[in-house]
Amino acid sequence: MTNAMIRVKNVTKSYSRGGETLKVLNGLNLEMDEGRFYALMGPSGSGKTTLLNLVGGLDHPDSGDLFVAGANLSDLDGAELARWRADNVGFVFQGFNLIPVLSARENVELPLSLTGLSRAERKKHAEYALELVGLKDRMNHRPKQLSGGQEQRVAIARALATDPKVLLADEPTGDLDRKSAEQVLDLLVRLNQEFKKTILMVTHDPHAADRAQSIVHLEKGELGRIEHNAPAAAK
Amino acid sequence: MLKLAWRNLIAHPIRSILTSASVCIAILLLCLLRSIVTTLDAGIEAASATRLIVMSSISLFVDMPVSYQQRIEQVDGVDVIGKWQWFGGYYQNPRNFFAQFAVDPEHLFDMYPECQLDEEAKQRFLSTRNGCIIGRKLADDPNFAWKVGDKIPLVGALFPHPDGGAWEFEVCGVYTSSAANFDERTMMFQWKFFEETLRTSGQDPGVGVFVFRCEPGANVERIMGEVTAMFENGPMSVRCAPESEFQRMFISMMGDIPMLLGWIGTAVFVALLLGCVNTMLMAGREQVRDIGIYKALGFDDVTAFRVLVTQSLLLCVIGGAAGIGLTLALKPGIAAAIAAMFPVFIVADETLIFAAVLIVLLGLAAGIVPAWRASRMKPIEALRAEH
Amino acid sequence: MFIPLNYTVRSLFVRKAATFLSVFGIGVTVAIFAGVLALQQGFTTMFTSQGREDVIVFLRPGATGETDSQFQRERGMKLMKSLPEIEQTPEHGPLASMESYSGVLRRRPDGGEVNVAFRGVQQATFTIRGDELRIIEGRNFTPGADEIIVGKKLVERIQDCHVGDVMVINTTPFRVVGVFDHDGPFVSEIWADLERALAVLDAYGPNRVIAKVKPGTLIGDVNAEGGPDPASLAGRLANDTEAPAKVLTERAFLESQTQMLGGILLGLGMALAVIMGVGAAFTAINTMLSAIASRTNEIGILLATGFRPLPIFVAFMLETLLLCVMGGLVGCVLVLPINGIETGTMNGQTFTEVAFAFRVTPVVVGAAIFFSVLLGMIGGLWPALRACRMTPTAALRRT
Repeated sequence: MTNAMIRVKNVTKSYSRGGETLKVLNGLNLEMDEGRFYALMGPSGSGKTTLLNLVGGLDHPDSGDLFVAGANLSDLDGAELARWRADNVGFVFQGFNLIPVLSARENVELPLSLTGLSRAERKKHAEYALELVGLKDRMNHRPKQLSGGQEQRVAIARALATDPKVLLADEPTGDLDRKSAEQVLDLLVRLNQEFKKTILMVTHDPHAADRAQSIVHLEKGELGRIEHNAPAAAK
Repeated sequence: MLKLAWRNLIAHPIRSILTSASVCIAILLLCLLRSIVTTLDAGIEAASATRLIVMSSISLFVDMPVSYQQRIEQVDGVDVIGKWQWFGGYYQNPRNFFAQFAVDPEHLFDMYPECQLDEEAKQRFLSTRNGCIIGRKLADDPNFAWKVGDKIPLVGALFPHPDGGAWEFEVCGVYTSSAANFDERTMMFQWKFFEETLRTSGQDPGVGVFVFRCEPGANVERIMGEVTAMFENGPMSVRCAPESEFQRMFISMMGDIPMLLGWIGTAVFVALLLGCVNTMLMAGREQVRDIGIYKALGFDDVTAFRVLVTQSLLLCVIGGAAGIGLTLALKPGIAAAIAAMFPVFIVADETLIFAAVLIVLLGLAAGIVPAWRASRMKPIEALRAEH
Repeated sequence: MFIPLNYTVRSLFVRKAATFLSVFGIGVTVAIFAGVLALQQGFTTMFTSQGREDVIVFLRPGATGETDSQFQRERGMKLMKSLPEIEQTPEHGPLASMESYSGVLRRRPDGGEVNVAFRGVQQATFTIRGDELRIIEGRNFTPGADEIIVGKKLVERIQDCHVGDVMVINTTPFRVVGVFDHDGPFVSEIWADLERALAVLDAYGPNRVIAKVKPGTLIGDVNAEGGPDPASLAGRLANDTEAPAKVLTERAFLESQTQMLGGILLGLGMALAVIMGVGAAFTAINTMLSAIASRTNEIGILLATGFRPLPIFVAFMLETLLLCVMGGLVGCVLVLPINGIETGTMNGQTFTEVAFAFRVTPVVVGAAIFFSVLLGMIGGLWPALRACRMTPTAALRRT
């Protein structure tokens, strides 16, 4: 309770699509501790991605409160929210979403340009982040010249670059083969273990979810069971 | 299929509207620039074959003696003749430019059936010493707004009034013109008034051009030869030519400008064409995925191809039709804007037909490449294409 | 805080075909605008660059130019002799000259016809002109003889215009004895002795008088509000009872002769710029909208990363500006080859042809670049607004 990094209180969120209102989250309550690795599972339409977007400050809930990394997101306006995102969260997506025209290093540097760092420091940070994900030697390659697994690791480096407290990953292994997926998961586990990042990962894949410390199940916008795995030591 | 093409277009309303608008502008410019050339040529085409012009061999700057009139009249086969002199005056300010001529009124309407004026006004003009007639467009010009009975004071820049003041003319009628070569922005007044006024200070006005008509069946070549030969040794040698050649001379005097306008027109069209092809290519690229879906649903290559070409055609036809419509709508405004330089502004049917053909060609040309590319794609590849 | 510039630059180059077509289309548009402007510049500088401040032109009161001005010979003489402001030299007397002016119809090499300016001058004209006018082939005409000299630009533009050729004007055959060069409009004229010119034109007197005035003379401005200063030369002569005249400096006179055609060319350039500019802006908008549509998820990630809408707006605005400025540069390159090409048209003010060259001056290049920047501003505004107004979730959903 005291160490909650993410606290979701009575959050509801609905979308209207084609005139119909679709209730995605229905008074959800959830707490996630600092430094833990959570997997978020549930069938399609259960509200996983919506929850992730809310936690990441990309969207506002219809009602309820979200406390993430010490901030009440409802209190922040657009500019403050953007600033907060730049400092506190990093995103990893299923489709990698690297900027194709920028090299790996430049992609990683992108969020750093929002900080007050000098050019040289930005470069150093970016190279360090790429080193962490094991791609320092590929830093001048464009996304097209990398494999899917490498692209995703660059995306993780980009999410890490500003040293955020929270990493949010939306199906990070969804587009990857088994081997690449394992590498990405290894990386996430390591970030959680060594660097104490709080990680929230949406996934369909039970194998991927097993690497997390806790598995949160969402069902029709409401909290299902929470499983706790044995300490997720690296395999 | 048309419905499908239409649906695709309205799925991207902004792009479709912008592309159509580009086509519309291209066609509008094309029509306008071609119409300027048509307008220039119109004078030649509408020129009367029976009227001949006599002018100084030096140029229109130089006058001929009034006495030439009797001598030309005596040439066998010459029917009626009249004098014309460019007055070159202005109303209040030199910027208010319009043409004024001193003319012989007796045979004016007879020789120029295209100058239309009711009988009453004609009589009034003939019987008013300082009377003048003005063209419909001149009368309607908001800067002037003259009507019958108004007195028009003109500063004689070329022929200062002997008493130092302005010349004063009384409007006796407003004529309309039924042919392209007869300007409705002109004022004509009596030669007699002009000559008599100048004579009070001992001036002897010359004649700018003589216009005469041959008797039916007369040998025009012979008459022109005789008139030219008659004054070969001076005091002022002349040239005698059909009205059409006179008009051609005017256009020739414009120098390279008509040619340049033609070049500009072509370049303008190319520029906008590039824009249109570009948009169609973008549309084609973005629809690759849709084409994949059509194919997955069982459409064949030809159908997919046709949908895209129909789409391009539809865009161009809508835009082009708007361009043609706009040309016709703008015609009166443009005619007014260039009235000082060109008497009329003619949008020929040929121009519009040419534009219509071009629109269809443009639609086909812009659509074919992307359509061909998309239709040859395998459905699975097409479906996989994201952007 | 801003998105790095290389993002903008590379985004353009990654879409080679679309960028190339857009740049080229905008380039042609800019080139046309610049070409018409180069025409106007060539025409105007021909007249304005040579007008002298120490040479004055006398016209008949009320006249707008040489064609509608004419003096009795005696009046011209009186003007030349009686004015103390006119410079005197011991060998030539007053530095003043009567000149006649008319158009003569000549055949072009292709058979068309053209009105060429035909100027009769007195010998003092050459003294006043000094080095301004250079005989580059043959010799000057002999006073009183049926001889003419022709401006350099006429030689290839009309028939019978080489040294040794004969031109018949009215009934008199004139022999071409020389070719002269001048940086102003005289270079499109035929010059002869005043007396011979008046005789063949059957004219009673000259069309204007020119004179070199003493330094420090108050000439006055005939176009001034309420008329010229009464103490000035122009003011005095405007109200002279015996020999009134309209007086203006040669510079002012030449400028007044360019207004009609210069205005038409400028108007044509502006009209084309507006109409084609709309088309070119549409091209830019379409290109950018398409670019944004295919990069929606990029915008999403930029927003998710914490970029504010402003930098995104700036990035897309810059991208459009870059696209259009590249088009502007292409346009300048396209228009460069026409620099110096000779052309000619009738000057509506004098009804005679004036030959001049297209001039791609810094003004033209500046206007072309300004035009392309303007296109970029207009063309980029909407797409950039659209891009920066996307919400991150909506942008990311479209992967």
